[in-house]
Amino acid sequence: MNAMNDVSSKVDRRADDVVLAVRNVKKHYPIREGVFQSVVGHVKAVDGVSFDIRRGETVGLVGESGCGKSTLGRCVSGLSDPTGGGVYFGLSKAEVARLDTLLADGSAAAQAELAQMERRHRIDRLEGAAQRHFRRNCQMVFQDSFASLNPRQLVIDIVGRPLRVYREASGDALTERVVSLLEQVGLGRHHLYRFPHQFSGGQRQRISIARALALDPDLIVLDEPTSALDVSVQAQILNLLYELQRDRGLAYLFVTHDLSVVHHMADRLVTMYLGRVAESGDTNTVFETPQHPYTRALIAAKPDLNDDEGRTMQALEGRVPDPARPPQGCRFHTRCAVATPMCGWEVDDVVRWLESSKGVFDALEGVDRTNAFDAALRFSSEAAARNLASTLRSDAIPAAMQQALEDVTVSGGAVRVRFREVPEVELTERGPGHHAACLINPSHSSSGAN
Amino acid sequence: MLDMTNRPSGLANSPATIASVRDLTVHFPSKRGMVHAVDRVSFEIRDGETLGLVGETGCGKSVTGRSFLQLLPIPPGILAQGTVTFHPHARCGACAGTGCDACNSTGRRPAACPSCTGAGCAQCNGSGAETVELLRLPEDRIRRIRGDRIAMIFQDPGKALNPTLTIGDQLSEVFLQHRTEELLDAAGIGPEDRGLAARLLGRLASQRNGSIDNLLLSLPPLRGKRNLLLDALRNNVAAALAETQIANPYQIIDRYPHELSGGMRQRVMIAQALACNPDLLIADEPTTALDVTVQARILELIKDLQKRRQTSVLYISHDLSLVRRICDRVAVMYAGRVVEIGRTDRIFRNPSHPYTRGLLHAVPTAATKRGQLMAIKGTVPELVDPPPSCRFVGRCPHEKALCRSKNPELAQIADEHSVSCFIHDAAGAADAPSFDEKTQ
Repeated sequence: MNAMNDVSSKVDRRADDVVLAVRNVKKHYPIREGVFQSVVGHVKAVDGVSFDIRRGETVGLVGESGCGKSTLGRCVSGLSDPTGGGVYFGLSKAEVARLDTLLADGSAAAQAELAQMERRHRIDRLEGAAQRHFRRNCQMVFQDSFASLNPRQLVIDIVGRPLRVYREASGDALTERVVSLLEQVGLGRHHLYRFPHQFSGGQRQRISIARALALDPDLIVLDEPTSALDVSVQAQILNLLYELQRDRGLAYLFVTHDLSVVHHMADRLVTMYLGRVAESGDTNTVFETPQHPYTRALIAAKPDLNDDEGRTMQALEGRVPDPARPPQGCRFHTRCAVATPMCGWEVDDVVRWLESSKGVFDALEGVDRTNAFDAALRFSSEAAARNLASTLRSDAIPAAMQQALEDVTVSGGAVRVRFREVPEVELTERGPGHHAACLINPSHSSSGAN
Repeated sequence: MLDMTNRPSGLANSPATIASVRDLTVHFPSKRGMVHAVDRVSFEIRDGETLGLVGETGCGKSVTGRSFLQLLPIPPGILAQGTVTFHPHARCGACAGTGCDACNSTGRRPAACPSCTGAGCAQCNGSGAETVELLRLPEDRIRRIRGDRIAMIFQDPGKALNPTLTIGDQLSEVFLQHRTEELLDAAGIGPEDRGLAARLLGRLASQRNGSIDNLLLSLPPLRGKRNLLLDALRNNVAAALAETQIANPYQIIDRYPHELSGGMRQRVMIAQALACNPDLLIADEPTTALDVTVQARILELIKDLQKRRQTSVLYISHDLSLVRRICDRVAVMYAGRVVEIGRTDRIFRNPSHPYTRGLLHAVPTAATKRGQLMAIKGTVPELVDPPPSCRFVGRCPHEKALCRSKNPELAQIADEHSVSCFIHDAAGAADAPSFDEKTQ
């Protein structure tokens, strides 16, 4: 146990410390095509996400599948390097404030100081002892405990591996450490010499948690830790996670799609949509007064056991657009029930709309883009072009989209459409620590929602 | 809108149930002994209702659902005892399927018993309705029911759809199997025709065509008729897809499953299941693999189609909050047995089996404090040669000696609410457990 005490004394633990600061993180995957595998575009899985995780708190990260939440989880734990922005580890509150000023400041002196700071704290720039320090302090628990536990290793090897790698213990001391870890997660000495397949799903997840705890980390990234479990077992695991957090001051990044679990577990909530943060804030505040239509849609779609019977479940129309060509303005405007003309209507919306309507799409031959808001759509016949132009002026398209249209001109078989150019919607403050990326003012959004 | 409406049970002269399971027992042999996967399960599905079958992994809910269509792996599984009876429906005689008062404007009525033509005899228990025993039906007859009268939606549409066939090809199979006469009719071939064309097209329309048939059918004299038949097939498939609110069915027909999103694939599955207007739909966790936003849309769809066609649904799920929203009645299963069954509002307002209570308390809600979820202690017991005790023994907070020696039977405690627990047994009050008392 001496080794463990040494570690905790080395790290100065203060309550207001930021364990991890995520700043403008981007993860773009290249799309390659052709014989020479040239890069033709990027899938923007995570596209500029910033938030903090403070010591001892749980941050919930929610969103639909494909919104980039798992990718972000992997970036945060250092399993994959971000292609832009940075994840900073082990900063004090003052240092985070300094970091933010440096990131905003473009001067040479600031850049030099930033580079120095990054060498010590940015997780993909760390080397040697600093890197080891980060890696032992940030652990991960995965969704699928079948895949994340080596089927050919015994529990003692699985849970003892981090201790051995970091030369924390060996021999009998190692066995005792592993036993104490197993006891903390509700298993015991008699489980030491068993293989993962001899355990139930809940027990395997406990083994994963014991392994993550072995080096006494500051932060555990939990990627859908209970999605594969039954409710009664999920309750056991959630209770266990809470107790461990209370006793050890752990911080959790809880990545999940289950809103009731997040509502129960998280202190703060980050809602992601298509690689960007839609809303972030205190969990209760977000659930009580959601500011972003997407958050509201998520909450409306999920039935809660305690809701009154009359409440209906509301589905969200449409599907998530292609992350290789994310929508302009607000990324949610294609599915938003309360979208305004300023939400970023663009040429792609016309193309998307054409795809779902009969006949017209077959006549579309190509799109010549000037930019995302201005393009000429070439059709095989003039009739089809006229048809589209008249539809764009009619009520068949959303009113907000119609209002955003600045120009529709037909010339031969081509229709030129131009939309109002709007910038990307940024996060704005809605209350203390509560941010949402939506143009609509909260005072008149509540009536028109859902 | 998903609401809990109590629909009337159909027709005056119909049996109130569309299917009933009696003492279903399924065993699977294993190295350590016989696994009692389903143990004397009994329930009935009423005409037009949605019955929820809830339980955790391994409780036997999927095995029960699959037994309806003989989809269980038997052998190695053993059907120890029990029956699953089913009353198929037929086109309403009074209105020829267009919908009238006699059939509650669904166009279907329970089919008459073939041996007494509806008068009531020993074979149909006096109900006059055709009664089919699904578990022991020969292969050729179950094939006619599967996909036509009883259809199934599986959990993972990615696995349930054949990746090598286009959506159109997979949906065509349903029509080729069950709607052969209608397709031939569209090609201008009546039931009396016996010519070469009729025989060739008949083989095509029932999926028995070989390469010589295909060659002959591609030659001019027959090609026109074949195209008529295939056009009718394509239109049927598109109509089935359009039913599930797929915006552009003719484009989807030529796509492969991997080209579609999860929600779209599940819609294709539903279109396939509902193509022949089945009397009973077995939905085995149809939304578990989907996002919440898509899930709401799919459930709305099932509910809407069900309302229009008066289809009965057996909804298998582990999600209690969902079941509460969409089911008329709920059966809770634990370790191969039904422990509680009744109307949804009764069960959720007054859960009367310790397991149901535990399950409801284990769901995290806004109100529960962190770290204070009421987890059910322990794990699900192994079902290898179980002792003659209550299956919840060892995890139950109220258990007594009686629970360890005897298995409680399902008994009615209130109108439309039955529970299998000694807590509600007034006679054995002395050593029976009670909710007030907790052991340990």
